[in-house]
Amino acid sequence: MDDQGCPRCKTTKYRNPSLKLMVNVCGHTLCENCVEMLFVRGSGNCVQCDTPLRKSNFRVQLFEDPTVDKEVEIRKKVLKIYNKRDFDFSSLREYNDYLEQVEDIGRGTDWGRPTETEVYNLTNNLDVENTKLKMEQYQREHRDLIQKNKATLTREQEELEELLLLEQQGNEQRRLDVLQDEQRQLQAKRKNKQALLDELEQSQLPATILLAQHKVRAAQLETQIEQQKQTVKPTNLFSTGIHMRQTVSLVAVPKVEDVLFHYKPLHVETYGPPVPELEQLSRVGYLNHVRAAMPQDTAGGYTSALACHRAIQDAFSGLFPLKG
Amino acid sequence: MNRGEWILISRRAQVSKSTRPRLCPIERVNQICRCSFFLFDSFSFAEAAAMFHNSSQRKYWIFKSEDEVAHMRRKANQKFRNKIQESGKSAVSDSMFLERHEEDVLFRHYERRLLDFCNAFKPAMPKSVVGTALMYFRRFYLNNSVMEHHPRTIMLTCAYLSCKVDEFNVSSTQFGGNLLHETPAGQERVLEQILEYELLLIQQLNFHLVVHNPYRPMEGLLIDLKTRYPTLENPESLRKSADDFLTQAAMTDAGLLFPPSQIALAAILNSALRASLSMESYLTECLGLKEDKDSISKMYDSMRRMKTLLKKYELPKADEVNIYKPRLERIHAQFASSSNKRKRGYEDDSHVAKEPRLVEEEWTDEDLM
Repeated sequence: MDDQGCPRCKTTKYRNPSLKLMVNVCGHTLCENCVEMLFVRGSGNCVQCDTPLRKSNFRVQLFEDPTVDKEVEIRKKVLKIYNKRDFDFSSLREYNDYLEQVEDIGRGTDWGRPTETEVYNLTNNLDVENTKLKMEQYQREHRDLIQKNKATLTREQEELEELLLLEQQGNEQRRLDVLQDEQRQLQAKRKNKQALLDELEQSQLPATILLAQHKVRAAQLETQIEQQKQTVKPTNLFSTGIHMRQTVSLVAVPKVEDVLFHYKPLHVETYGPPVPELEQLSRVGYLNHVRAAMPQDTAGGYTSALACHRAIQDAFSGLFPLKG
Repeated sequence: MNRGEWILISRRAQVSKSTRPRLCPIERVNQICRCSFFLFDSFSFAEAAAMFHNSSQRKYWIFKSEDEVAHMRRKANQKFRNKIQESGKSAVSDSMFLERHEEDVLFRHYERRLLDFCNAFKPAMPKSVVGTALMYFRRFYLNNSVMEHHPRTIMLTCAYLSCKVDEFNVSSTQFGGNLLHETPAGQERVLEQILEYELLLIQQLNFHLVVHNPYRPMEGLLIDLKTRYPTLENPESLRKSADDFLTQAAMTDAGLLFPPSQIALAAILNSALRASLSMESYLTECLGLKEDKDSISKMYDSMRRMKTLLKKYELPKADEVNIYKPRLERIHAQFASSSNKRKRGYEDDSHVAKEPRLVEEEWTDEDLM
């Protein structure tokens, strides 16, 4: 960041921490002071590329690379025109093709493909004239659709903002409620204390009894508060603004009719006599004839049955001659 | 290849990574085959996959008859001859090549040496490791001629590979230390060669690395005898001669023709026969073959075949070996240049391929033992 600087006056961020860099449509930077000086009359040429620029088009540079800023700017502009939505297309494939084309509005004359390209073209100064022409043409051809989509876009935006506002209000309300609650509890406690003092002043009863009474009352108050805290008001809104218990009508999940999987135990042709199960080896008495497992062997999970089973499996596997 | 084998390999690859100074290229195999690892979805599946009836051995390495095996060996012999003749060397006469029976003698000679090497190995090698090594050796020369790849190197590679596959963890230096009569530098050289041939071997085994030996089945049968067949008073007494039977069977083609459980049963029945005990009722009652006369007769038949195989086996005669060995060396010396671009299994991966070794035959058999 430190070596970023104004190409004209050579000031850098290091030397002037309050340096503000600005970018215009050509993607070249200038510092704020230089902009003020050069564009006093409202318009002028870029120092680096001589593009005619307007002062009002200067933006604060947000990204380290000024071309990114430029691209963001261009993208905004292009997307204002190319504002078709996915439901304007009959298939995902078409929509993707469209998106690609818009993106390619940037990609220029690449790889021998005819220039169907916008964003990239403009960013990289490839074929600018053609692209601009094409954009204008597109705009003319699709004016209605663009207008319509613009309207829906703004409407959606409004709805979203409304929702956000509602949520904010809800939060504020909740905060106030909690605050009020606390206030009330504090007041109750204070009142209790005051009552004790009054009684001590006026009553005929001995102080110890009064104190005990007070203690009981204080405890009651405490439990009351606790209870209140526990019985939290049932909210009927999720934090997302969706009403609880709202019956959300979903399209019934299409039932996939398919043959259910049936487990069939694995059958292995061993070409030999059947081998006794691992669990049955000791019952039949096989294990009397193999070396018992040492304690240190069993640590790894070894049992003498395993070795015995393997030996018998090996002995029986392929024992019979092949038929035929 | 079945899943169980891959998991075994991968597990061993991890072991070797942590404990071996010299990393074997088994991980490279994984890459080459673009193997993906499967998780077993249930215990029963894991159990089923790890056993013989689902193994690659049953599918690909059990052959119908002795003739089929002999035919494959003849084809391997012929393949090598054709290859040399096609390469267009001028002075090639048919008499120069080894005939099948001569190849056989040398094969048996080196098989013996492999057995001796394994038996003399320190720390002592478990029987299953030896059995696996012998089986690798046998499978390798089913499709390859001894004239193409020298059995001296292949046998050591077999032993080395079987140590890894059968969870008998020795480091390569330890392995090299068993090559007595070798200087440390010589051991280093041999190990280099072993590693060089290892992938070729794995490839020629078609990546089927799990070998089911008859030793565990025999234990299982003995346990079963003790449990379910009280008629036999002392099953342990059968062990000695049954063991001998299995050792001899390992030197024959029995492992390529019969399932290990049948070999084990044959060993026990043979042993009982020698002690003049009848075990017919074990087959009928305990193994449930009472109704199945057909199966019983077939089993007896294959047992007879096994016995003849064992009987036919004869030790390679020293004088024959002495005649053929120089011829083998000559063949290797002459065709070394042509077979120098030998399949190393990873010849396509230029980043692993080592410089072709020009001085290759610096050590002789006599160095081994």
